[in-house]
Amino acid sequence: MTLTLLVQSVLAGLTNGFVYGLIGLGIAVVFRGARIINAMQGDLALIGSVVAYLIAVSLGLPMILGFLLGVVAGGVTGFLVDRLMIRPTAKRRGTEDSFLLVTLGGAFAVSATVLLYFGRDSYVLPGIGGNAMVDVFDAAMRVHAIWLIVISTGVVLALRWFYAKTAIGQAMLAASIDPEGALTLGINVGWMRTMTLALGGLVGGLAGVLVAPLINIQYEMGLLLTLKGFAAAILGGLTSPFGAIFGGVILGLVEALAVVTISSGYKDVVAMTLLIAIMIAMPQGLFGRRGRLGG
Amino acid sequence: MLRAGLGTLALAGATIMSPMAQAQGATGEPLKIGAIISLTGPGAGLGNPQRQGMLLAEKTINAAGGVNGRPIRILIEDDGSKPDIAKSKAERLMYDEKVSAIIGPSLTASTGAVAAITNAEGLPTLCFTGLGPRIELTYKSLFHLLPAQDLNAKAMLEYSTKELKAKKIGILHDTGYGQVVTNQLNVHRQAYGVEFVAIEKFEVGASDVSAQAAKVRAASPDVVFVIATSAVPFRNARQVKIEQPIVSAIGSSTYDYVRGFGEYADNIIYPEFVVGEQPKDNQKAFVEAFQKEYGSLPKNFEAAAWDSVHIIAKAAAKAGPKAGSKDLAAAMRGSYPGVMATYDFAKDDMTGIELSSYVFSKLVKGKFERLSFTTK
Amino acid sequence: MTVSPDTQRARAWTWAITAAGLVVWAALPWFLSRGTIDILVFAGLYTIAGLGVSFLLGQCGIVSLAQSGFYGIGAYAAAYGTTALGLPIPVGIIAGMVVSGAIAAAVGIPVLRLSGHFLALATLALAIIAHVLFLELEWLTGGTLGIGGIPRIALFGFTFSTPFRFYYLVWPCAFALILFYTLLLNSRTGIALRAMRDAPAAAAVAGIPITSLKVRIFVLSAAVGSLAGSLFAHYVSFISVDSFAIDRAISFLLIAVLGGVRSIPGTIAGALFVTAAPNYLSRLGDIHPILFAVALIVAVIFLPGGFGGFVSSTWRRLTAGPRPSATGGP
Repeated sequence: MTLTLLVQSVLAGLTNGFVYGLIGLGIAVVFRGARIINAMQGDLALIGSVVAYLIAVSLGLPMILGFLLGVVAGGVTGFLVDRLMIRPTAKRRGTEDSFLLVTLGGAFAVSATVLLYFGRDSYVLPGIGGNAMVDVFDAAMRVHAIWLIVISTGVVLALRWFYAKTAIGQAMLAASIDPEGALTLGINVGWMRTMTLALGGLVGGLAGVLVAPLINIQYEMGLLLTLKGFAAAILGGLTSPFGAIFGGVILGLVEALAVVTISSGYKDVVAMTLLIAIMIAMPQGLFGRRGRLGG
Repeated sequence: MLRAGLGTLALAGATIMSPMAQAQGATGEPLKIGAIISLTGPGAGLGNPQRQGMLLAEKTINAAGGVNGRPIRILIEDDGSKPDIAKSKAERLMYDEKVSAIIGPSLTASTGAVAAITNAEGLPTLCFTGLGPRIELTYKSLFHLLPAQDLNAKAMLEYSTKELKAKKIGILHDTGYGQVVTNQLNVHRQAYGVEFVAIEKFEVGASDVSAQAAKVRAASPDVVFVIATSAVPFRNARQVKIEQPIVSAIGSSTYDYVRGFGEYADNIIYPEFVVGEQPKDNQKAFVEAFQKEYGSLPKNFEAAAWDSVHIIAKAAAKAGPKAGSKDLAAAMRGSYPGVMATYDFAKDDMTGIELSSYVFSKLVKGKFERLSFTTK
Repeated sequence: MTVSPDTQRARAWTWAITAAGLVVWAALPWFLSRGTIDILVFAGLYTIAGLGVSFLLGQCGIVSLAQSGFYGIGAYAAAYGTTALGLPIPVGIIAGMVVSGAIAAAVGIPVLRLSGHFLALATLALAIIAHVLFLELEWLTGGTLGIGGIPRIALFGFTFSTPFRFYYLVWPCAFALILFYTLLLNSRTGIALRAMRDAPAAAAVAGIPITSLKVRIFVLSAAVGSLAGSLFAHYVSFISVDSFAIDRAISFLLIAVLGGVRSIPGTIAGALFVTAAPNYLSRLGDIHPILFAVALIVAVIFLPGGFGGFVSSTWRRLTAGPRPSATGGP
């Protein structure tokens, strides 16, 4: 194996890893604040990227506007998911499985709607820095991928600050960890859940506008992203934003290294076996101390 | 827009109309044809062009008097890209709707499930897939409108060895369509005297395959085959600086995919059948009619769908109004000069497409250009 | 043991309704079109596979997304056994169940120690691994092209070749399994399972072998999934890897939850929804997948206990007579 190949696989693994991690980040945010596995997280990214495409490419407006509105579209969808799906389910005392399934239904709906109204094409969203590449030991990496890594890291830090330092962030955590206690403190628990879903939506929309330039926008991308993002979030302990990114990077690197050292056909077998092994060896996840609370 | 094209269309469909019916259009008892295609799910990119081709053919034939005065009616069902649903739809179309023939499915797996029951009744089935598992060779009423992957593989190797003089080839393929073509490439590798220096695969829907692409590049091939039904591997191949010509297979030769390639849609060669921008003489009327109807250029799947309806119409005219499904299937067994390719359904592989039916196109800055290369 | 008049009345009704249901079931194919019977056959196949998932989830709290893998193993065992090895049909089916059970035991022992979402992800990982292996082991599975020409099941010279005939094979299998699972639920094992589910710590103290019990139920579920897969292969006579992907695992979970995981016969309703809804909605045009998704969302929101839970709560209200029910009503 040449150095170039090794470097290229590490770069590919990092890129994929941050893609998985960004989706996992949204899943972790929603789980942390609402104790719900949001199976729509990948489809929120789909919505974000479609909106960004319609504004920046179809209408030809500035990219930054498409980018921002894509993120906002994710947040608005997250808000609507809470109002139209999560809240009515909670009202009728839905179980943990009900929340998973109702968001899964939402994922199907988003994907089918995109197919019907946006089409079956795969669309290219321009990235930050266009298609410019940087060379690392003769291996190549998109400039956009570096931006993706930088922005994801920034978002993780911002979330950490948000939960630790702001009143609303702390209220959101309190509402999720101890809903009854939070009520006595005068926290509106239902509203906090709505905020959590909207925040998860914003992260999902951001993931969409960041990921789409790398993988093309396509109606089926949501569920695939959700599956990998779920794995990333769980590896990170399910409640930790930093853990989700870290879990995603581990998964991406394992996959990429499996390709160059073992066989591309068995890449998923290697990655999934390792995933199971990690969960058994470290049942708290790599970063979560409260990981098991999900069960 | 819908009415505008009828004049030309009537001419295009003139081969199977009776002079009497020409004036007033078809009236008698309709000839029911079932169609099972993938309009939703992963195969939606196949089913939608196929529907356009079929509907245009239906309209053209009916405007020209139908089949001996009988209009054609195509009942289109969506299998959602799932073989189980395709099977249920086939049961419904065959036994509840009593169709005379089935067009489709769009996907290999659905074809296998549908063919197993249409074969039992000898109902003619014109699928948009190449030859599937070996058992299909015994299904004498299953006709393939697309070439066996064996032939696609040969066409790729023809161009690579004869035009590009390649000795070392690297392959980047997905685990669905790409796997099937790659298996056939392996069969013919020796006959063409080439070496496969790297064969790398990735799952359908993968988001980044640069690690695989880098491995292909590291093997320094003369030509790279990218065989997949997504735009990602094409982009990644160029991004990791694979600068060699890319030869691909017909499955990704659609405008949808090419749009997804973005600025990387360059120096990619397709062995295929229809280049709408520069059609062959026998394709011109169809391409014109299609453009008039839909405002876009057709490609291979649209043409195959157009041919499928015409093949049934021709066979039905030949077999007569009293013909059962077995007679209709028998009437199809013969050669048919289609728009996409010249078929010969009497051949053992139930398609009879020859290597000489292929045209070769090259993507140059996002546009298909027909190449002068032929296999003859 | 004293039995209250209410309970007695409820039991009599249960028997009467079951008997009436069986008569309707037996008569149904004579009045339906072939396309509809075909859908009912698939509902039967999915009921069988869904039962395994439902019981695991409802009684052990184990979310299994691995069922598509076992369904696939059953299908490939049947296909490979009959077409490549020329074995008798029952040998292929039993081999599939044994292999599935053995694999379930081997992976279940480490994996079932996990819980909650970790366990769900682990089973999802197993399904992904199974799908990759089905693709890669082409000599066995035919890869993407699949295996065709799988023989139909024949008993005493009678071939289950049409949907009409297969209906009378698949549904008795499903009913037998419903009966089996119901008896299991009411047995000592069932009591142990409920204790384990509702009060794991107490169950452990009471000496219930938790892991071994979970593994045994998982093995049973795998064998049942494998049976469904084998029957599917012999019914369609063609299989390919597309039938055993993650979307199938998700639909089995949908069947279990929509049917109501605490209700064993509810699985039938879940399976009917998942098989019939896409088929009939697709007549409404290209919008049908959206309608299916909306129907799914509405069903989950309004029936938190699934179809089975809805029926049993309505049932309790009706049989409880004029007295206000303690459990019913929001």
